[in-house]
Amino acid sequence: MRDAGGVTRRSFLAAAAVVAGAGLVGGLPMPLRGGSPKSSRVVVIRHEALAAEGQGGQGPAPERVRELLDEAVKTLTADAKAADAWARWFKPTDRVGIKVNCMGYVTRPAVALATAAGLGAIGLAPQQTIIWDRTSDDLRRAGYDLGNATKAPRCFGTDALGDRGTAGYEAKIVTSGGIGSFFSRIVTDEATALVSACILKDHNLAGLSCGLKNFFGAIHNPNKYHDNGCDPFIADVCAAPPIRDRLRLAVCDALRPQYNGGPPGRPQWQWAYGGLIVSTDPVALDRVALEILEKKRAAAGLKPLEAEKRPARYLASAQARGLGTADLASIEVVSIGKPWNEI
Amino acid sequence: MRDNDTLRGEDQLLPSPRRGRGGGGEGEVAGQGHPSPGLRPPSPPRGEGQLLSSRRAFLQAVGAGACAACAACLPAKRSAAAEADDTHVRIAVHDAKWFERLPDKAVKCQLCPRECTVADVERGYCGVRENRGGDYKTLVYGALCSLNIDPIEKKPLFHYLPGTTALSVATVGCNMECKFCQNWNVSQYRPEQVESLLVPPENLARMAKAATIKNPEKPCLTVAYTYTEPVVFSEYVLDAAANARSQRIGSTIISNGYIREPALRDLCKYLTAVKVDLKAFTEKFYAEQCAAKLAPVLSTLEVLHDIGIHTEIVMLVIPTLNDSAEEIGAMAKWIATHMSSDVPVHFSRFHPMYRVKNLPPTPVETLDRARKVSMDAGLRYVYVGNVPFHAGESTYCPGCGKIVIKRVGYNVDVVGLRSGACGSCGRKIAGIWSQDEALAFKPKEKTAAK
Repeated sequence: MRDAGGVTRRSFLAAAAVVAGAGLVGGLPMPLRGGSPKSSRVVVIRHEALAAEGQGGQGPAPERVRELLDEAVKTLTADAKAADAWARWFKPTDRVGIKVNCMGYVTRPAVALATAAGLGAIGLAPQQTIIWDRTSDDLRRAGYDLGNATKAPRCFGTDALGDRGTAGYEAKIVTSGGIGSFFSRIVTDEATALVSACILKDHNLAGLSCGLKNFFGAIHNPNKYHDNGCDPFIADVCAAPPIRDRLRLAVCDALRPQYNGGPPGRPQWQWAYGGLIVSTDPVALDRVALEILEKKRAAAGLKPLEAEKRPARYLASAQARGLGTADLASIEVVSIGKPWNEI
Repeated sequence: MRDNDTLRGEDQLLPSPRRGRGGGGEGEVAGQGHPSPGLRPPSPPRGEGQLLSSRRAFLQAVGAGACAACAACLPAKRSAAAEADDTHVRIAVHDAKWFERLPDKAVKCQLCPRECTVADVERGYCGVRENRGGDYKTLVYGALCSLNIDPIEKKPLFHYLPGTTALSVATVGCNMECKFCQNWNVSQYRPEQVESLLVPPENLARMAKAATIKNPEKPCLTVAYTYTEPVVFSEYVLDAAANARSQRIGSTIISNGYIREPALRDLCKYLTAVKVDLKAFTEKFYAEQCAAKLAPVLSTLEVLHDIGIHTEIVMLVIPTLNDSAEEIGAMAKWIATHMSSDVPVHFSRFHPMYRVKNLPPTPVETLDRARKVSMDAGLRYVYVGNVPFHAGESTYCPGCGKIVIKRVGYNVDVVGLRSGACGSCGRKIAGIWSQDEALAFKPKEKTAAK
């Protein structure tokens, strides 16, 4: 799918530079954590090309998304080349599981494919990358192509590993805080590293569904953990070793986020934000996503999530478990293109 | 060792649950409001020796009568998905009862006290009830992951048709998450993760009757909905129990009692007995060990007593967690006060399982103490379970102390019961002692206080 707006890479960079400043595009000093006064960095790249609905609602073309994603990861690490940025997090020998969200309003395939392409730039063969969720049927319904195992990333659900017993889940139960679950064998057997390729959307119980809640799709019994706004269960799932030890990057599809009525897709509450959000701190990414969601809700005349008794309280639990930073004041949000907090 | 109503591989007529092998919705009976009557009896997928073996075991158990009964009602119509894999399914969709529609295609489940608010595309806590575009569906209508013929004592029901058997069935799913669950390998899974067999509700009574023909010494007079949590598949229980009643077969649920009163009263129109797991007598235990609340379970027990249905109670006694004499004494007093001193109560031995593997099996002395404390509190029929050859397995006349039903494991000898009374002193022994009596049960109208 071609960009309807006809924006070139050059014009994009020019626009980005206006807003973000030469320092950002040219390379920011990039201590990921520790050296900056802020403890976590989140990069939000926005471009009208990302807001395109595309043919069949599939969003913009993967190559366009990849180009912009590369810009985002370069900014995240202050590397001149995107491959150098990807190489900070992944080794050519890694097997990377790209966890997408196929429940209700779904992560667009273009975002997952752009992530896979980024990984390909550091030498990962297509077979070393798996785009996955709970079931292959879920992926098909979400528009993912499960057909090509050689040229494209592999793509299948946990259930596809059912011949290894227990429906594709590991036989050993993992206890983490309040949860006791079997984790997908895609995580435990296949992947050495994970990317949370999530979508920014409202959630009727947790308030927000983004990079952390995405991993409810990694366990066999997510239905057990929706009480109390999914708190602390979202944090407990992500703090479990199978996830915590592998999660290296979160890439959020904020192309057309949904600010109300989630998790099912409700077009009347989606808007053209035109963004990708990336961070190595999944808690910080979710916190920024929450801020975007709340600002849009306010602009649309909706109550804050707190007033609807569904604040994203899991963020504080995630910070308490050392998964990242939930304090917005401690997060460095870097915009490329339109400012991240301009709704 | 035996565990009350715990699935053991050697007991099962169906194999232990087979997990999915890809394809996600493979075998889903989609779009069927109600499965066609009389789908084929369980048959194996090609190349699955284990299931074939188990099916044979089942057919041997129930005899040729079951084959005839089931084959007589081959489906007039089956969905394409069912055709693809015969009667093996993971998901069997049917309209749910007991829910309320909310704005924006959300629903509020009214089946159990959780009252889950379920957004479109989401499921309730049990994992087997799903909102599909604002219509609430059960995903396990007739999708049986377990099908056995058990002694009725295994449920355990000790004051209900002793020496008979029960066709015992389950689907996956539960509305609690007990860390000590003894059947977690089916109760804590979602339907798409376990391959099940599609058995329409009207087949169950036929299977039970066939089992009686095969083994008249141990007549199969009851269908028991058990192993997992029958509340979560109540639609199926309701339809199957209504059919069974019309065929003079009783029905019982072996339940955690976590159900709202309207649904419970609906079910009790056709049930003939209920066994409730009262897991502890503190809210702390229910919150920490079961992700649930005690109060709704007590409410269920009161409603059952109000309805007048035969009810027995089981408590799995877990060392250090719910085994104090104070707690058990309080529970016994509550039962005597809010229900009846005649309610049979079973204290079962815990074995390390699922997420509670750090505790030892319950000492027999602890069970003995629980029994004594409860009898001191006024309960008349108190049993020790999961301890074969224990004297506390037998039923004693509360009047003269003589044995009226002697049990050694599942060997049952009705030695001193005459027309529902003690053969020695003539005192009435509480219970349901004949199928006529069981089938004559009609629930009492709701009293004003309830």
